[in-house]
Amino acid sequence: MLLDFNKLGAWKWGLTAICVLMALFLLLPILFIVGLSFGSSRWLIFPPPGWTLKWYAELFADPRWLGAALTSAKIGVIVMVLSVALGLLASLALVRGTFRGREVLRAFFLTPMVLPVVIVAVALYAAFLRLGLNGTLVGFVIAHLIVALPFAIITITGALETFDPAIEDAAILCGASPWEARLRVTLPGIRHGLFSAAIFSFLISWDEVVLAIFMASPSLQTLPVKVWTTLRQDLTPVIAAASTLLVALTVLLMIAAALIRKGKSE
Amino acid sequence: MFSAITAGRRGSGLGFALPAVLLLFAFFVVPVAALLTRSVTEPELGLQNYAVLVGSSTYARIFFNTFFVSGVVTLITVLIAFPVAWALAIMPSRWASIIFAIILLSMWTNLLARTYAWMVLLQQTGLINRSLMALGLIDAPLQLTNNLVGVTIGMVYIMLPFMILPLMGVIKKIDPAILQAAALCGATKAQALRRVLIPLAGPGIASGALMVFVMSLGYYVTPSLLGGTANMMLAELIAQQVQSLVNWGMGGAAAFLLLVVTLGLYAVQLRFFDAKEAR
Repeated sequence: MLLDFNKLGAWKWGLTAICVLMALFLLLPILFIVGLSFGSSRWLIFPPPGWTLKWYAELFADPRWLGAALTSAKIGVIVMVLSVALGLLASLALVRGTFRGREVLRAFFLTPMVLPVVIVAVALYAAFLRLGLNGTLVGFVIAHLIVALPFAIITITGALETFDPAIEDAAILCGASPWEARLRVTLPGIRHGLFSAAIFSFLISWDEVVLAIFMASPSLQTLPVKVWTTLRQDLTPVIAAASTLLVALTVLLMIAAALIRKGKSE
Repeated sequence: MFSAITAGRRGSGLGFALPAVLLLFAFFVVPVAALLTRSVTEPELGLQNYAVLVGSSTYARIFFNTFFVSGVVTLITVLIAFPVAWALAIMPSRWASIIFAIILLSMWTNLLARTYAWMVLLQQTGLINRSLMALGLIDAPLQLTNNLVGVTIGMVYIMLPFMILPLMGVIKKIDPAILQAAALCGATKAQALRRVLIPLAGPGIASGALMVFVMSLGYYVTPSLLGGTANMMLAELIAQQVQSLVNWGMGGAAAFLLLVVTLGLYAVQLRFFDAKEAR
């Protein structure tokens, strides 16, 4: 009775109301930023007295915003490639390996996801001070790779677990070398998992704030670091414009991920 | 038996894990271990950093803020997430998928963008204060940012998806026949909720709540932007000790405390909840 929506009676409306209110609570702040970014009030009056594109003009006119966005994109793409490559190898070991202690290794791979990011950030900051990697592209990539890798491993092991190794064996019996079998049979077989892992890895790097704050230098910063430093000075609508573009990109990538999932189920 | 891995190499496949293991070892295990070591070696060998951390009232205040806010955030999140997860689990799928999409959108929207939205909404001249005043509910604007109220609202906003999604899975797995049985035996809806549905969802609620609590303990961005410097939480203390004060000993000690609490609570979760679900 409580698990049959149509037999809930009056409770049905109560639950629906809570759901709708919660959805509004989650959605309205995001729509609010989008609205602000087109509003003409510098003092963030809402609803705005008029509409304008000047905050976007200001955003694109400032080379530091554009530079930060390019840096973020560059780091995101490198992290994406490395995270999928290392994640694929690690997943092969976890799913197809025969060595002992695979469960321990899996748990080890996932620890960076469990620890508070601030601890990883401070620890890496100290290590990079010694190695001279703070404020470098390499430093950013390593830091983001540490937190993106667990997500790639979860996604790719999930795909590998549902891919029957017998298909790979069949290719080998038909004369393929083991590497040929892996590259031309298994990889295409788990491509949905690889694409999802790539999207997740990119998004994690692209959105990451805490590690980036510690890795950044005045000459090299990512988009979230630029937002962070600007936010601490004032709440200018330029941030709303930047945030709106970030939301737009997220929506596009989410749609891409959903299409991949749909393609897989068909 | 002909698996490519075993046919291609004599090894067991361990070699494939090597690049990731080396990366995590060099840039995760060693740096974290080094940071924790500095808590007992700087400025000199000994436990003096921990003594200061435990002894001073400034730090006691920070610990209180951290645990209090995390506790309140967890409680509010559970109270909202349970009915929502319950409804999502049984709703007609068309409605559910719209709400589901909104939850995912919010979850994947940049953290700073979401925090910025709340900074603007909650400020003295913000939409919320102005609406409340227009409705005549308050006479003067409420102080909603630069204090723990702002942090709590911002954190609940961020944590809700992490509670709703797993809880929905748990409720979906409950057999509706059990609740039918309760109804046949004469239970009212309120009784069935209190004595059947909530106990059955209990392990899921507890495990989700623990996860939200642990995540809140270590959160950095939202508390520092919505809480202001006067209402510091543990993660901010670690960052401040290291970045502004260059006091690696204290930073390491605070990090160690956060690490112990985090891993301890995760151990509790693995020990009690996974074992229960496996049965």
